[in-house]
Amino acid sequence: MPETSEIRRQKDSQSNPQGEEIRIGVYTCHCGGNISDVVRCEKVAKVLSEMPNVVVSRTHMAMCSDAGQAMVEEDIRERGVNRVVIGACAPSLHEQTFRRTVARAGLNPYLYYHVCLREQDSWVSGGDCEGATEKAIRLMAAGIAKARHLKALDPIRLDAKQRALVIGGGVAGLRSAWDIARRGIQVTLIEKSPFLGGRMAQLETTFPAGETARELLHDLIERVLAHPNVTVHTRAELVGVRGYVGDFHVQIRRQSRGVSDDFAQAQAEAAIAACPVEVPDEFNYGLTTRKAIYRAYPGCTPATPAIDWENCTLCGKCLQVNGQGIDLENKPETFEINVGAVVVATGFRPYEPRQGEYGYGEFPEVVTLPQLIRLLALAGESEGLEWNGHPVRNIAMIHCVGSRQIEGIHEPQPDGQVNDYCSRVCCTATLHLANELRGRFPNVNVFDVYQDIRTYGRGHEDYYTQASANMVRFLRFHAEEPPEVVPAPDGDSCPVLVKIKDYLTWGEEIEVPVDLVVLAVGIMPRPIDDLIKMLKISPGTDRFLLEVHPKLRPVETAVPGIVLAGTAQGPMNIQESCAAASAAAAKVAVLLGQGLVELEPFVARVDPERCRGSGQCVEVCCYEDAISLQTFSVNGREVQRAVVTPANCTGCGACVSACPNRAIDVQGWTLEQYEAMVDAIAADLPASEVGV
Amino acid sequence: MASDKLRVDALVVGGGIAGMQSALDLADQGYQVALVEKEASIGGKMIALSKVFPTLDCCSCITTPKMSAVAHHRNIHLLTYCEVQSIRENGGGFVAQVLKKPRYVNEDLCTGCRQCEYACPIDLPDPFDRGYGAHRAIRVPFSTAVPQIAVLDIENCLLCGKCEQVCPVSAVDFTQTPQQLEIEAGSIVLATGYEVTPRDAKKEYGGGKLPNVIDALFMERLLAPTGPYGHVLRPGDGKEPESIAYVQCAGSRDQTLGVPYCSRVCCMYAIKQAMLISGALPLADVTIYYMDIRTFGKGYEQFYQNAKAMGIEFVKGKVARITEDENQNPIVRVELIDEGSRVVERTHDLVVLSVGMLPRYNPQPLYGVPVADDGFVEVPSPNISPCVTDRPGIFVTGTAAGPMDIVDSIMTAGAAASEAAAYLRARKSASSVSTTTGKERELVYA
Repeated sequence: MPETSEIRRQKDSQSNPQGEEIRIGVYTCHCGGNISDVVRCEKVAKVLSEMPNVVVSRTHMAMCSDAGQAMVEEDIRERGVNRVVIGACAPSLHEQTFRRTVARAGLNPYLYYHVCLREQDSWVSGGDCEGATEKAIRLMAAGIAKARHLKALDPIRLDAKQRALVIGGGVAGLRSAWDIARRGIQVTLIEKSPFLGGRMAQLETTFPAGETARELLHDLIERVLAHPNVTVHTRAELVGVRGYVGDFHVQIRRQSRGVSDDFAQAQAEAAIAACPVEVPDEFNYGLTTRKAIYRAYPGCTPATPAIDWENCTLCGKCLQVNGQGIDLENKPETFEINVGAVVVATGFRPYEPRQGEYGYGEFPEVVTLPQLIRLLALAGESEGLEWNGHPVRNIAMIHCVGSRQIEGIHEPQPDGQVNDYCSRVCCTATLHLANELRGRFPNVNVFDVYQDIRTYGRGHEDYYTQASANMVRFLRFHAEEPPEVVPAPDGDSCPVLVKIKDYLTWGEEIEVPVDLVVLAVGIMPRPIDDLIKMLKISPGTDRFLLEVHPKLRPVETAVPGIVLAGTAQGPMNIQESCAAASAAAAKVAVLLGQGLVELEPFVARVDPERCRGSGQCVEVCCYEDAISLQTFSVNGREVQRAVVTPANCTGCGACVSACPNRAIDVQGWTLEQYEAMVDAIAADLPASEVGV
Repeated sequence: MASDKLRVDALVVGGGIAGMQSALDLADQGYQVALVEKEASIGGKMIALSKVFPTLDCCSCITTPKMSAVAHHRNIHLLTYCEVQSIRENGGGFVAQVLKKPRYVNEDLCTGCRQCEYACPIDLPDPFDRGYGAHRAIRVPFSTAVPQIAVLDIENCLLCGKCEQVCPVSAVDFTQTPQQLEIEAGSIVLATGYEVTPRDAKKEYGGGKLPNVIDALFMERLLAPTGPYGHVLRPGDGKEPESIAYVQCAGSRDQTLGVPYCSRVCCMYAIKQAMLISGALPLADVTIYYMDIRTFGKGYEQFYQNAKAMGIEFVKGKVARITEDENQNPIVRVELIDEGSRVVERTHDLVVLSVGMLPRYNPQPLYGVPVADDGFVEVPSPNISPCVTDRPGIFVTGTAAGPMDIVDSIMTAGAAASEAAAYLRARKSASSVSTTTGKERELVYA
């Protein structure tokens, strides 16, 4: 054994400055075979047991099981173990579990160190048992070396503001706001558009219970607005964020409505009628037009019309009807509020087919499913269905437009990506509408062109069964051979043909002449790049917002205090959006309900004795208000010293490497600890240890 | 019978993933929760699974921490091996009579050392391994059970006393009797879970008599590191299967079984198992016979496409019949819809039935909560209030309200917790009764 190691050994086995003897418990987990199939855990445990300060070294089938945890607790209580090292899965999975274990036994939870033997060793060693076992010993030895230098730490405790911000006034945002308010926490809800309700307001009857979308929505909006804990701002956007969980300072920019709330209904109608501007009405997906002073739809909330600043020509015609209550100057105001948590419920947009995709934009007979919903609503009680001035007798509905796209088959979107995900709602929505069409217009033939029918939800399969009973004709295509929409030959009774290789009829090429093609477009997240940057959250590869764990923690983001509700996170129907929104509200209540939040203590700490006030740390710090120079008096002399604001520090360590005096350390990850780990990992193993 | 009393804010019925998550979401908000589980361990169906889709996380690795968190939470009172027997209303709240079944093991003394288990001479089919593995008459329910306390199956016990002799802490107690426990709760969350289609439900698929036709839950056990054989083998003769077929919708979307609905999870678990089999048996061929592939969740479609790229064969066709040849190899009769609808018979070594989800428990008689035609708890306003039942103060989460996967169960668990919390608050402000505190609780439940 080299001399340096020997010296270190002697030094290490000494007691720490407080006079407490360091007694380390080391545990090597089998992870139910995940580790022990490759790493010889018993051998590792035996070698480690001979290391200085190690008083117990054990193995277990699953350390995270109650039995495994109980073993650690017992060793702490009965054998005086005061530092714990566990070699198991990745720390992201179980570091917190074992910190709690250690704390239960009365030890400071930060006197625990987690070594990753699964992701960093057994899973990547390709069955090299010898190599993996040696690596495990080295990784564990480094953990033990660090454990010798661990110090008790306390989490950072901060007061939590009893208010949450909800971004988005669609059904998910509204539902979340209502749940949070009912829990006794104040809520501010901001909605970018002048009206509440989001996409759900554009629907008519809903599956699976046949309820009317706007009735459900209005009931919810009423409850939200009536709740004393809720403040709603329409036409409001988030423009700045600073702070951290429990204490975010958010800047909100609100544009003028242009029309005051006491503006009388009758006058409003006259003012709208007077407006000479006509723009495509987004509520009806461009099927109709609206004015530059407008309401989203009859009965919308708020009922007060709003001025569309982008399209208003300031001609003043509306003022001439009755100038009182209309102000044609947009005076945006920015204000700041203080919230403890943020719910992101920014929703979705329907996929916009590219020019020429299934004839979209080329033939007027090609519309999207959201457009058809509006079209049927506008048709009212009429006997027959008309489109483009012609009666509609044959309709083809094509599934998976903008969903389940395959690279190489589907043309990428402007950002170079294809939507390779399923949009979840379109199958049931399409069949729901197909049934409505067959019910309202029995003479209209409906052809349903699909790959797989995904009526997965409770009650959804009934729509499929009904559609079959209603004589909706199903044609099934393969993803590699998508159908085509082409103009019908002159003299044909229908304007377009849908050509499909139909696998329900032996792969035959079928041409279906139709009057209307409906594209069941998928769900895409709204473009919220600015918001993503401000909140420091991340989108996934599908561009929807990323959750911490898609299985276990579906509504939380990696940023503490920021949670997700509804389709901002992925395609969902109304029911699923509401469940997610309520789950997000529960997380907000957990965070804020106790009035206190706890943060990890792994933040920079300045040794004032060593700091010379060079300010290099402040220069390299990427975070606002995390480290600053402050003036202190030392022996009657004024000096500058760096001071860390723990709540704003992320523990990135940039300041540590910048400091010329080694005056800064990240707590729990000190340079001293790193050096000990490096020495241990690189130390020669004794001959007996190498011969694994 | 001795009677204990416990006063809590919420009673959660069922200790599967939905119940555990609901209990945690309430307890983390500071509410006192009683979690009642009728089995001897919490963990539900999830703890018996191999890996989860689409992340392929090891299932016990992500379930055990939840179980542990529930067991150690200072606001959760965990009552395993207990059953709710009656519910009555009491001033806006509920009073539940709970039967604590005898374990014949003293819970305070047992350390879970399993000496009793090793000494016991009785082997019984182990339900945790779908009856294919064995357990003793006295045993810790499974290796990661919470709590780690043995339980004795008195029905099958010889009363030989061996366990009593070897127990180092004298915890075995043959004289235990059922105990009554009264729980006063402000609200109730039903998380009673699901059952799978019995393997013998469909006579066309061999009626459970073909040894090499298994259900997918048993395949989960075969693929789990703690499984009964430690390897993927077919149960008929222990042979390593070279050709494995999945029959989708074996119990769902099937009018002949009275189950018209889709069970939501079967497509994904079949694809996941097919991938895991490709890892465990790299030379085996895996075929999935399906009607529609329903990979609708986040990341699911990509998972399906990966499986296709891995060489797993997807065949569109509803399997009509399964028979077997003289070597017990199952023969699948199916119409190959994509190949001109030819009807063929194909022989495989092992067939896995992708069984569906059935309602497990009807809460109507006890809780006065109606079920819908499909047998799952009725939710009157499914879109806006997916966890609200017909009875005020009683909420539902997870598969008690219809088939759903783990992530959807976790979502509705959070939602049910939100509903229960709001209900409790409204009730509190309506009456002047304060919510129970930890201290009060200790006084009541000594």
